[in-house]
Amino acid sequence: MTKEKNKTNFVGVRLTKEQTKNLSKLQKSSELSKTDILLRGLEILSEYYALGLDRPPLNIELKKLEEQAIHHLNELKKIKQKEESIKQLIQELKDVDQIIDEYNGEKSALIQILLKIQAKNNWLPKPALLWVSERLDIPMSQILNIATFYKAFSLEPRGKHLVRVCLGTACHVRGGPKILQAAEQFLGIKSGETSPDMKFTLESVNCLGCCALGPVMMVDEEYHGKLSPSKVGDILSNYKNKDTKNIEEKIIAR
Amino acid sequence: MEKLKTTSDLEKLRKNLLNKKNSKNTCVSICSGTGCRAYTSENVVNAFIEEIKKQKLENKVEVKRTGCHGFCEKGPVVVIHPMDICYLQVKPEDASEIVTQTLLKGKTVDRLLYTDQKTGKKIAIESEIPFYKNQTRLIFGNNRKIDPKSIEDYLTLGGYKALTKALFEMKPAQVLDEVKNANLRGRGGGGFPAGRKWETTRNAPETPKYVIVNCDEGDPGAYMDRSLMEGNPHSVLEGLIIGAYAIGSNQGYIYIRQEYPLAVENTEQAIKQAQEYGLLGKNILGSGFDFDIKIHRGAGAFVSGESSALMSAVEGHVGEPRPKYIHTAISGVWDKPTCLNNVETWANVPFIINNGSKWFEDIGTKTSKGTKIFSLVGNVNNTGLVEVPMGVTLREIIYNIGGGIPNGKKFKAVQTGGPSGGCIPENLLDLHVDFDELAKVGSMMGSGGMIVMDEDTCMVDVARYFVNFLADESCGKCIPCREGLRHMIQLLDKITSGNATEKDIQLLEELSEVVQMASLCALGQTAPNPILSTLKYFRNEYEAHIRGECPARVCKPLITYYIEPEKCKACGLCLKNCPTNAITGSKKQVHVIDIEKCTKCGTCFDVCKFDAVTKKTAEKNKKEKITVTG
Repeated sequence: MTKEKNKTNFVGVRLTKEQTKNLSKLQKSSELSKTDILLRGLEILSEYYALGLDRPPLNIELKKLEEQAIHHLNELKKIKQKEESIKQLIQELKDVDQIIDEYNGEKSALIQILLKIQAKNNWLPKPALLWVSERLDIPMSQILNIATFYKAFSLEPRGKHLVRVCLGTACHVRGGPKILQAAEQFLGIKSGETSPDMKFTLESVNCLGCCALGPVMMVDEEYHGKLSPSKVGDILSNYKNKDTKNIEEKIIAR
Repeated sequence: MEKLKTTSDLEKLRKNLLNKKNSKNTCVSICSGTGCRAYTSENVVNAFIEEIKKQKLENKVEVKRTGCHGFCEKGPVVVIHPMDICYLQVKPEDASEIVTQTLLKGKTVDRLLYTDQKTGKKIAIESEIPFYKNQTRLIFGNNRKIDPKSIEDYLTLGGYKALTKALFEMKPAQVLDEVKNANLRGRGGGGFPAGRKWETTRNAPETPKYVIVNCDEGDPGAYMDRSLMEGNPHSVLEGLIIGAYAIGSNQGYIYIRQEYPLAVENTEQAIKQAQEYGLLGKNILGSGFDFDIKIHRGAGAFVSGESSALMSAVEGHVGEPRPKYIHTAISGVWDKPTCLNNVETWANVPFIINNGSKWFEDIGTKTSKGTKIFSLVGNVNNTGLVEVPMGVTLREIIYNIGGGIPNGKKFKAVQTGGPSGGCIPENLLDLHVDFDELAKVGSMMGSGGMIVMDEDTCMVDVARYFVNFLADESCGKCIPCREGLRHMIQLLDKITSGNATEKDIQLLEELSEVVQMASLCALGQTAPNPILSTLKYFRNEYEAHIRGECPARVCKPLITYYIEPEKCKACGLCLKNCPTNAITGSKKQVHVIDIEKCTKCGTCFDVCKFDAVTKKTAEKNKKEKITVTG
């Protein structure tokens, strides 16, 4: 019992008198909070692990301390992540601000503003829409009304490449549905879906306006005309390969 | 770029530009419309630029990226001016041969020339190719001569002359009268007289007034507005400015479909150039008339092409139509008088002002004047954009210009007017195409889509396709359209799956009538047209489906795939390609399709080199008979 009385409770860990003393000494000299000191110590510890060195011999108390501190470290990481995401959000909203300012904050430019946000992010994130609602003084319901009415908008993140298969009349009579079928088969997703690796989003559209080339498929901004089902796989795998090539090049450049 | 303050400034500039142009008399113009771009025409352009540099011809030869030439089937198209030699399907590696042979030696490269299908003769001169020869190109003609990104090109061809004539030689009322007398009818679909629309907006008491270009070309199978807007944006701008002057408007909008990024790019540039030259903005050419234009991009909704819906979209709302008890010409954008016309309609205006209404009236039929651009697509040899005077027969368009049906197949129908139009059968091919004649046979002009269908097209499937399209695009505001179309699809699904009875056809007809009469806007009012016209001309196909037969062998539930043992060479190609492993067989053993496993995707039919895979119909019927007798 007496032993326990000698110990102070610190971040859930009991310290001996000596430890408490050392801690306050350190605190005074470094002008850091107790938690900071502990975390600092643990960061050093974790570096030990990262370097693959044997960890220094610890007594049970210290081990407990370590566990506790790792917990805190994780909390800190989470807070940092949150901070990052808030920073990102602020940047996103700043971009939205810029777009709104381009149109002088005119209410009538709502569709144009949403189109630009869509083009920038590939989808319409909710915070951006809330901010548009706030800035233009348009109720969120009205914004969602527009975002769901028009086909150009997506309320979910879309893949890196947007694959649009034309099912307009001219393409329909020249076998457009078969092209869609082939694309679905190759990508393993249905029309309107995004592949799990976020690389492709597949959509069918009603007319791309280059009917003489039917059947037509559009990948991002590129048109591919006079298709046959067998060509679809080649074209799409080209985009896949291009991506991996780019990544490889980047790695080499590093 | 200096602002032009008077008409003489403009004429001086034009003279300078013409002089400059004459120093380079040879021009390689390469089509850079969306179609040819898809064939990588940009690489062809670069190859030519490089080759001309190599051969040190930069000072003599000009390379030009032009708008769509219209002959999209054979792209990329390259034309050498002033000889007008037309090369088709040109690849980047052909550039050096063309430069050395044609530009240096004056010889033609025969393998890239057009080959006449009947005689097998090579045709070098662009205007002698049947596709071009049988057309009358007024509105679309300049597309292949100018770089859409250069206002100077447009000016050298006499651009903005009509504007100066209207602003300085005519009063607004005179301009209006000229358009009215020309009897110019709206090219967007309805064919409403443009002059009358202008007059209504002009006489409406409210101000300000607005003018709008409708480039929300949603009709599947039509792309002439796109090609005009992309290829010759200044002609549309000029028409719009003249119209605004006649109507008394100072603000215009151009509504462009989201799917047309190049049109937006070129139009933005054109507006900027016109503003820099003072052809747009305050006090145009010192006339005291102010006018400016804003671009509004669509966001992908077919119904937004309807006038009241489009105006609602311009205001920033959802593009839904509203009842038009008061016309948009009187109460449109922000409840102000608004005159909306289609791209092609506006592009006609400079021609009417330049040449007079009398000249315009001489082209076309009694009730429909001028020319019309059609997009001739589907199962036809020469797909592309075709401009002909009103009153030309369908046969002339499809056979003389379009070159008939490919692969020796038989013609079945031609669909005009987009999803709200109708299908016209073979016995009406000698119909003189204009607004009223097409309406008489249950179709319509629409924006000018002309989709040719061969014998392999199932007309019930086509009707179902259009109704499906319209149900998808219906905004859902009014019940007859929203619910009516849904039930029509259910009925058509029933028919195409062979589960319908004669009564269902009757019900379909009744339902069509209700949707036609009770819908709010033109989308619903015309939605039953595809069904009614196919029922009128191809009722036998509907009846065949009820008997469990699809004559064109398209509707999946009514067909089965079958490998003819006599023709099968046991090559294994179909077996390898079948996605569901429904085909069995091995080397030297005839392949067989397991009907239970077959999803009827048609892959085996497409890949077979020996035509051994065939489609059979009326199987269902037979089975039923067997069970009855058995």
